[in-house]
Amino acid sequence: MKIALFIPCLVNQMFPEVGVATLELLEKLGHEVILPEGQTCCGQPMTNSGCYEDAKKTTLKLLNAFKGVECDAIVCPAASCLVAAKENFHEFDNSPEAQVVIDKLYELTEFLHDVAPIAEFKKPFPHKVSLQMSCHGIRMLSLATPSENMSLQRHNKVEAVLSQIADIEICYPERRDECCGFGGTFAVDEGAVSAKMSKDKAYFHYETGAKYVVGFDPSCLMNIDGMIRRQKLPIETRHIAQVINEAL
Amino acid sequence: MSHTASKIHADKAAIFCKDEDRVNWHSKALWLLREKRDRAASSLPEWEQLRQLGSEIKLHTLTNLAKYLEMFEQNCQANGIQVHWAKDAAEHNEIVHGILSHHQVKKLVKSKSMLTEECHMNPYLEERGIEVIDTDLGERIIQLAGQPPSHIVVPAIHLKKEEVGELFHEKIGTEAGASDPTYLTRAARAHLREQFLSADAAMTGVNMAIAEKGAVVVCTNEGNADMGANLPKVQIHSMGMDKMVPNLDSAAVLLRMLARNATGQPVTTYSSFYRGPKAGGEMHVVIVDNGRSNMLKDKILAESLKCIRCGGCMNTCPVYRRSGGHSYNYTIPGPIGIAVGAQKDDTNSIAWACTLCGSCTQVCPTKVPLDKIIHHHRRLKAEAGNLPYGKRSYMPVVGKVMGSAPMLNTSMAMARTALRILPGSLLKPFAGAWGKYRELPVAPKSSFEAWYKKNRS
Ligand code: SF4
Repeated sequence: MKIALFIPCLVNQMFPEVGVATLELLEKLGHEVILPEGQTCCGQPMTNSGCYEDAKKTTLKLLNAFKGVECDAIVCPAASCLVAAKENFHEFDNSPEAQVVIDKLYELTEFLHDVAPIAEFKKPFPHKVSLQMSCHGIRMLSLATPSENMSLQRHNKVEAVLSQIADIEICYPERRDECCGFGGTFAVDEGAVSAKMSKDKAYFHYETGAKYVVGFDPSCLMNIDGMIRRQKLPIETRHIAQVINEAL
Repeated sequence: MSHTASKIHADKAAIFCKDEDRVNWHSKALWLLREKRDRAASSLPEWEQLRQLGSEIKLHTLTNLAKYLEMFEQNCQANGIQVHWAKDAAEHNEIVHGILSHHQVKKLVKSKSMLTEECHMNPYLEERGIEVIDTDLGERIIQLAGQPPSHIVVPAIHLKKEEVGELFHEKIGTEAGASDPTYLTRAARAHLREQFLSADAAMTGVNMAIAEKGAVVVCTNEGNADMGANLPKVQIHSMGMDKMVPNLDSAAVLLRMLARNATGQPVTTYSSFYRGPKAGGEMHVVIVDNGRSNMLKDKILAESLKCIRCGGCMNTCPVYRRSGGHSYNYTIPGPIGIAVGAQKDDTNSIAWACTLCGSCTQVCPTKVPLDKIIHHHRRLKAEAGNLPYGKRSYMPVVGKVMGSAPMLNTSMAMARTALRILPGSLLKPFAGAWGKYRELPVAPKSSFEAWYKKNRS
């Protein structure tokens, strides 16, 4: 398949290794990968704060970067940015061209589960990992059935993808999909509560005895990592793209 | 601004957070309710269908509210119930006072009513010489403590049993140092029994009002609504107009979820249906608007009126559990409190006291889209120029920087350099709340784009 990468600003600027892993793993799977130019932020920091006017120009710039780009799918290694992009594109542009872009948007795990499943992992990943089930991926993108939901049919795409890797041991923290407390500007505006949420989250992951906290949302991982290091806990964060890339 | 400064949610929450043991205990106690809810909900294979049905019943009723309110009024009157309409809190209080003074009531026993809290009725009546006794155990505790409720189902959840013991010792004469819940509950019961016997009128909230029957449903675990309603001659039931349901069947659907989602009980211990005055007595129903019909005009805000007040969203809310109910500046705290209270929040802060994690929306038995409503409130506030103080100054700047690739690249490159070369201690104060509590991210040397240009193009 021909895949256009959607690399949100946070990944581009702070976690290039997540972008690299995403690119490499998709190439290893035999896809042709391109990076459309002119990508910026999806507008989430602004729209989440209610500031739609301030978000408009930014969001449309990102949308324009993908308009008319020839590809089968647009893949993003950050769940909450993807959700925001989808919603904001829709909000600011309801043209058919915008819809074409929206219909091609996939979060990486979602893409690997629903569109182009991995046939085989070549290498084992002999570690215990504690999965970070971040809110937007779980509750808005349905990467897994949220713990509040009592449907008899349950699914978990993150586990389904990772569990095919040999020797990987998957576990979950207590209160498995409770928010880590980042919430964009919430971390700054509501510093004390946010910090307590992050602290609890970091400890719950640590208490599983896992070597890595693995997640699909770089912003949550950045938050948890900051708290892990402040609390000096012997556990590290890894993006799911990095784990998959290592095992391919 | 300074007189409201201490009312800002973040500031109040920060004070609550100072006592980490208390936060842990508060958070755990409420999470325990969430876990009980999970067990109770999962014991019904049809739970998710019930939620869908519950949501549709409430939406249907709200869409045809005028019709059902009229039907309700007629059927009530046919049953000998007197119906009153109050457009706001002041009118509600006047109506209640009118009824009470007509009967020369000196003491009113009351149970299960967040609405009277919303209307600030207690102080209003007390100023007019009427003693008001809250009869739910939790509500009585906070009444004695002189505090507002901090949760809609467990209003004294913020107090530890030792604190209740101290309070009871001081106010109702229990033994000094006693904190055994059974002992304290017994003492409270005896104390409340005296109040019931000496009251001249009783008042309750309403969980559901059944249009087809002209009846109201009140759910309690202690039976105190019945004690109140059956003893004195006058009984008053105050309800928000959103409490309407069409018929008994729809009430039954909501009853199956209410207690399960609140405390994990299959059903509340007492679900009492009142459909007429007792022999020789009087029954009044006061239907209150107080901003509700305004909310109905906004399609998104209107869905907050589907709420059946189970409190489930508070129990699951990670922010509420760590900031306490009193930080919200509104009678109803937590996610639903933001949904129905943000418009009345003159600090313009509670709409932002949320990470938009969406757990509340998923837990809600009537599918109130709480995160969507909260997000919408932020937008309404921003459009009205009511952003919280900090945001007003930095958001337009963020918007400009993010919208321009060169500006974004330059500022992020500067930030990365700063993160790499400056010592953390120098940066932390600049990074605000982030750096105060967490380590700053370890910055990479270059952006992904730069890597890509070098390695792939
Ligand atoms: S919004 Fe939903 S979960 Fe929250 S109190 Fe109301 S009914 Fe319960």
